[in-house]
Amino acid sequence: MDLEFSAEDEAYRAKLKVWLAENLGGGKGSVNELMKSATEGGNKDPLAGARVWPRKLWEAGYVGLAWPKAYGGQDASFTEQVICAEELAKARTPPMINTIGLSIIGPTLVQHGTEEQKKRFLPRILRADDLWCQGFSEPEAGSDLASLRCRAELDGDSFVVTGQKVWTSLAPISDWMFLLTRSDPDAPKREGISYLLCDMKTPGITVRPLRNAAGGMHFSEVFLDQVRIPRENLVGELHGGWKIARSSLDHERSGLSGVLALEETLGRLWRMASQIDRGGEKAVEGPTTRRLLAQHWIEIEGLRHLGYRTLSDQIAGAAPGAGSSVGKLFASDLRSRMARTGLRIEGPLAQVAKRSPHVIDRGRWHAAYFDALGHAIGGGTSEIMRGVIAEKVLGLPRATED
Amino acid sequence: MDFRLSEEQEALREVARDFLAARWPADKMRAALDAQPALVDDDVWKEIVEMGWLGVAAPEASGGIGGGVVTAAVLAEEAGRGILPGPFLSSLTAALAAESCGDDVLLGEIIEGRSRVALAVEEPGGSWGPDAVCLAATPCDEGWSLSGTKILVRDGQEADVLLVVARAPDGLALLKVPADVPGLARNRMLLMDGQSASELVLEDVRVGSDARLGGGEGGLLEAYEKATVLCAADLLGSAQASLELATEYAKERVQFGRPIGSFQAVSHRLADDLMKLEIGRSLLYGASLALDDRRENASALVSAAKAWLNEAAIAAVESALQIHGGVGFTWEYDVHLHMRRVRCNVACHGDADFHRDRVASHMDAALAAEGSGP
Repeated sequence: MDLEFSAEDEAYRAKLKVWLAENLGGGKGSVNELMKSATEGGNKDPLAGARVWPRKLWEAGYVGLAWPKAYGGQDASFTEQVICAEELAKARTPPMINTIGLSIIGPTLVQHGTEEQKKRFLPRILRADDLWCQGFSEPEAGSDLASLRCRAELDGDSFVVTGQKVWTSLAPISDWMFLLTRSDPDAPKREGISYLLCDMKTPGITVRPLRNAAGGMHFSEVFLDQVRIPRENLVGELHGGWKIARSSLDHERSGLSGVLALEETLGRLWRMASQIDRGGEKAVEGPTTRRLLAQHWIEIEGLRHLGYRTLSDQIAGAAPGAGSSVGKLFASDLRSRMARTGLRIEGPLAQVAKRSPHVIDRGRWHAAYFDALGHAIGGGTSEIMRGVIAEKVLGLPRATED
Repeated sequence: MDFRLSEEQEALREVARDFLAARWPADKMRAALDAQPALVDDDVWKEIVEMGWLGVAAPEASGGIGGGVVTAAVLAEEAGRGILPGPFLSSLTAALAAESCGDDVLLGEIIEGRSRVALAVEEPGGSWGPDAVCLAATPCDEGWSLSGTKILVRDGQEADVLLVVARAPDGLALLKVPADVPGLARNRMLLMDGQSASELVLEDVRVGSDARLGGGEGGLLEAYEKATVLCAADLLGSAQASLELATEYAKERVQFGRPIGSFQAVSHRLADDLMKLEIGRSLLYGASLALDDRRENASALVSAAKAWLNEAAIAAVESALQIHGGVGFTWEYDVHLHMRRVRCNVACHGDADFHRDRVASHMDAALAAEGSGP
């Protein structure tokens, strides 16, 4: 066993750090400068500023690391992928607006797309030319996703799609949506689903933003009324969309970059607890808070070492072990626990609204709390994930019939 | 970057598992609960020594296999799974201590089975570890005079030599005390899992100045970290076995016309247990490797592994008992053997809060070094 990165890997890390330092500063030619100037001078693209960072990062070779070079990727090793994700997580970078494209539809097209689809879509995802949203969930198809009803009928060279999608993140600013449709209503429910790519400018699409429990406007309802999608935008086989959707949920990651974010959160918790008074001493001096924070340190180290196991399996080309399937669930639970700890350390002041001047840490812990609870629902609820672990790893019988 | 066990380590695990399944039936452990505390049969012990298990960690130059703490943890895990009683783990613990404190002669005697050695750390007073040691080592004409009490010394009753942690004027010391030395009284302490332990009462026990091992306080503390890691590995082994028993039972047991494992109240509980054990496994091998690599956060990782596995193992054995229903609550079923062992190990070398406090101290230092600021 060893947990050292090779000299080549460390050289890669050093080069990336230098690049980040040069580009994230405030000087001339820096990303901040470019983002400001992008929206000046009558540029009609309201997202021009937001595209600066992902594009710059791609030009430098730090986006699409796992993708083939032929489509603008880097064909990078697993260790380079991890190092890149780690360093980006450590640096205070602007947000990536093309995350859904990079993390879900991109890898799906790499694996299942036609040559034309790969050439057409992948480079535009990498450059943040196209932003994507996901059309999976429906009002009657949440955890039971395979019961979706959005209808796709083949009419000549195109599908005619009618139905409703919901919880669609970033729909109003997206250029494209990948969606699951019911193409054969008579087949068993998992065998009549087709995976389609839809231009959001096609007539018949209505997007209605929904306000979420935290007050934000991150997701929307999307209504499709007789929307025509060319047949060439079918991914994989006709009626074969279910397996592709499942595989896109299976893109296992070591989760090591997420560990760095949790580590930073723990540092914040510790500093807050060192400053806040609790019963005549600083909160961090009380045994309850100390042990709670120590427990988070333990949990983060557990997740980090679990990530090393997953990464090692990937490097060795071995089938992912039991560990990789539990990392996502554990990380999601841990985020919630740490957000709760934040509110607990705030004590009585945890009641104060974010927009009140009395709020601690600009309301960070309220936001983190809602965010964490949302994460336990989105992209597969924790209950569904426990069911998957029970079935796939422990081999227990399914809870449902189908 | 390769955080996986090597092929050799996996092969050793398999050999150990098969050997223990064949040579140490759980029934013997059950019988020990009503009679004398359990020790493995002499012929099984002889084979364990011959297979070199006690030298699993030690460098080849010292007569070992050179597997380090990581490989020792593999064997400790299998001992937990196989409900193996002493003196294997107590001897392995003593071997690691002899190595940490640089006593190659003693190490050789343990590895070759010529001497049975037990490590004596804990004392009455309700806490754990070297910090809580009061037993005094006072310089005298012959060397050292030792007075005080040790408790919960695993397999201390059967040992030829006791490795006693004592407080000397210049700091903590580890001293070799022959079991037959005048002034030493050994009283058996029965453990709830059927294993053997001792209370040692030392009244002006005299040993030579060469009885003190080297390595200073650092070596002694390292020895205790290693003992703690082996205990955590033992917990993982018992817990993993319990999870597997419960999972198999949940697949077979039919109620309401379905296997009970199809009910989410059962399957989600087992999924949670699996998740906790996978995190625990990651921490255990992370801590073992950190000890082998002498990383600065090794001791915090050891505490992380022990604190986490204490709670994860209890969750797993309690689930196993609950999911087996009435059958699991019978004397004949093995679940209670694991539960007893887990309950002993949880209270051995520090409970979860003890180790969380140690982690918090590490954070004090680490975050202060980082420099605080909003």
